[in-house]
Amino acid sequence: MLRGLMRKSVFLGSAFVAMFFLCSGEVFSQSLEQEATVEENIPTEEGLTSTYVVTDMDGAAEALAKADSYKVDLQIQDRSFPNGGGSVPEVEVSSIHNGETIFFYVTWSDATKNDRAIKHEQFRDAVGFMFPIGIVEISPRTPFSPRMGDRGKPVNIWHWKADWERDLHADGNYEHMEDVYPDMFTDFDFNPHPDYFNKKVHDSVPLMAGGIAAGSLLSTPRGRSVEDLNAIGFGTLTSQTHQDVNGTGYWSDGKWHVMIYRPLISQDNNDVQFVAGQSTFFNMAVWNGEEGDRNGLKSVSIRWRPITLEPIAYTK
Amino acid sequence: MTLVHNWHLGRTMEYPYFESRPEHQFAAVFNINRCIACQTCTMAHKSTWTYSKGQEYMWWNNVETKPYGGYPQHWDQKILQMLWDNGNNPMEWFTSPEEKNETTAPYGLYNGDTIFELAKTKGLNQVAVGYIPDDKEWRFPNIYEDTAASEKTNYEMGSGADKESSELPEHKRWFFYLQRVCNHCTYPACLAACPRKAIYKRKEDGIVLIDQKRCRGYRKCVEQCPYKKPMYRGETRMSEKCIACYPRIEGKDPVTKGRRMEARCMAACVGKIRMNGLLTGDYKKPDPKNPLDWLIHIHRVALPLYPQFGTEPNIYYIPPRWAPRSYLRQMFGPGVDEALDKYAAPSRTLMAVLALFRATQTVISRFEVEEGPKIYESEVMGKKVEVYNDTAIGFAADGTELVRIKIEEPTWESDEKRMVTY
Ligand code: SF4
Ligand code: SF4
Repeated sequence: MLRGLMRKSVFLGSAFVAMFFLCSGEVFSQSLEQEATVEENIPTEEGLTSTYVVTDMDGAAEALAKADSYKVDLQIQDRSFPNGGGSVPEVEVSSIHNGETIFFYVTWSDATKNDRAIKHEQFRDAVGFMFPIGIVEISPRTPFSPRMGDRGKPVNIWHWKADWERDLHADGNYEHMEDVYPDMFTDFDFNPHPDYFNKKVHDSVPLMAGGIAAGSLLSTPRGRSVEDLNAIGFGTLTSQTHQDVNGTGYWSDGKWHVMIYRPLISQDNNDVQFVAGQSTFFNMAVWNGEEGDRNGLKSVSIRWRPITLEPIAYTK
Repeated sequence: MTLVHNWHLGRTMEYPYFESRPEHQFAAVFNINRCIACQTCTMAHKSTWTYSKGQEYMWWNNVETKPYGGYPQHWDQKILQMLWDNGNNPMEWFTSPEEKNETTAPYGLYNGDTIFELAKTKGLNQVAVGYIPDDKEWRFPNIYEDTAASEKTNYEMGSGADKESSELPEHKRWFFYLQRVCNHCTYPACLAACPRKAIYKRKEDGIVLIDQKRCRGYRKCVEQCPYKKPMYRGETRMSEKCIACYPRIEGKDPVTKGRRMEARCMAACVGKIRMNGLLTGDYKKPDPKNPLDWLIHIHRVALPLYPQFGTEPNIYYIPPRWAPRSYLRQMFGPGVDEALDKYAAPSRTLMAVLALFRATQTVISRFEVEEGPKIYESEVMGKKVEVYNDTAIGFAADGTELVRIKIEEPTWESDEKRMVTY
């Protein structure tokens, strides 16, 4: 019975593939992405206002704390493979600008602080903002994919990483194996003067590390905790050669507090640009390292939300 | 998912990409019977590629003692258990002659889910079933070395212990060494799992590589490769894997003068258990003069490791003669009995090809056998074995003769005088 069934399914399957070939003529790989829903192209009514505040860098955090906060509901990423996440139901976000720089402040509850990605089983907490590049209209008639953009419709992604934040405070702005495994050079941790056996070989890392040779920001001290990226759909995320976004964050009492900022206008064509008095859209995602979140395993906001920058009030 | 043909399984199976076989396929045959677990291969690998920080536990080549050993610990038991799916996926084979086909289904038909199919059946949010071993599981590469499986304890067996451990066809007390490197699979699960398409399989030689520019350290490959051969390097926050010493395979090492050269772990093998080279890309048209094609496709004495996983791995094994057949069938599929029959009473060609193992570090693309006189005759398990002093000759791809070796090893006896002077 089983055998017959299997044979049949193999036969039917082949027929299906053949048909697919004939009909589509296009190579498909993982046909595992769902059709876009209408709601994905209807931005929410309410959005975030970036209040104009006269402040310098030092006063920004204080001003942000006073600004109105806006709640963004998150849900499990169930649109594309590999899917997952969903353990963070919401974030609160507020924003200000001072005519030169735009600041975002995000908080969300997370009972566990995961700020390392060095052991096999360690995954980081992170938060991401996504903006369409250029001036866009988003509606069912003029769709713009919230799934990390699309061909011809690139997005700019700002990705704050808890382990990058931790790296910033480490010696040389980068955490190494020995920070996680302090006794890695010696067999006995009671030795007060460990003989760094093979230290020279260990110092050959730059020579023998693909990540460093490839110039990946993940593998080298990058002096910031936010990565500036582009994408044109799932699987296309690419780090920019020009990194313009900065940020800082801390965890306390089961909550992450993250501030991310960038000049309103950057010198990079691949970046979103902000103009006071104008609006654009954004989407958000949060990764919970404790749950093994990374890539498509994340909690996401799905619907675009407007963000409007208050005009600069010269009289204020 | 699309349907692709996996000849190990004798059927089409589901895979996220279309079938696209390379022009040649990096492959090797490991003769388990000969391995002495000296770990020279392991160290050859280590001192070439993974001696740097963040690679401490990385052994792209490792030799483990079966049945208990494993690196990472219990990797195969864990994957088998996942694939077994509480008995819902019994992993059976149909091996009657009607199920077989010389080229497309030489072992019969696998009637069960592969790691890809089970993930889909179960609706998992990943391409293949799998798990990420934690750092403790990677820590002891040679745990349970030389630990034998036994039906009884020494005490229970009394003075019969030695007999039970040496009688063929199956020892009651047994272990064997399993040599493992990345299989550079035809349907790599690592490649399928990567959501960034950072992993690619080279068209020219089938070598599977992780692009270090595209990798973002998601560890999806670590999770879904059933053989657990991609590894995470904490120092660079990225995954790395065996690269098949591709500069050597390309012939970039000056020693072989532009000819393809075996990978480091292969060329270093003290036990002469390994032969490394390239398979003909079209598995339906194996070249009878290519030693790997001959061993794998034509003579079928070398078998894939856990074919039921479904990745069509390209490292092939001559199974150990003494281990229980049921265990071997689980590990190498239903081709075990045929392979062992052939290995126990080797043909003239098999003797010749085995003689070429580790006779040169240049890849042998073609072999010839020159006939010699009969030197020995015996009986192995009721089968007559005749040994001839034939000459095996190995050639490089460009036709150059690389090695010429006689079946009977030439010996030389010193005369008494010399003995004394020494
Ligand atoms: S053995 Fe694992 S890492 Fe190697 S190609 Fe196959 S799936 Fe990929
Ligand atoms: S070098 Fe050869 S004999 Fe020694 S452990 Fe490795 S495979 Fe076995």
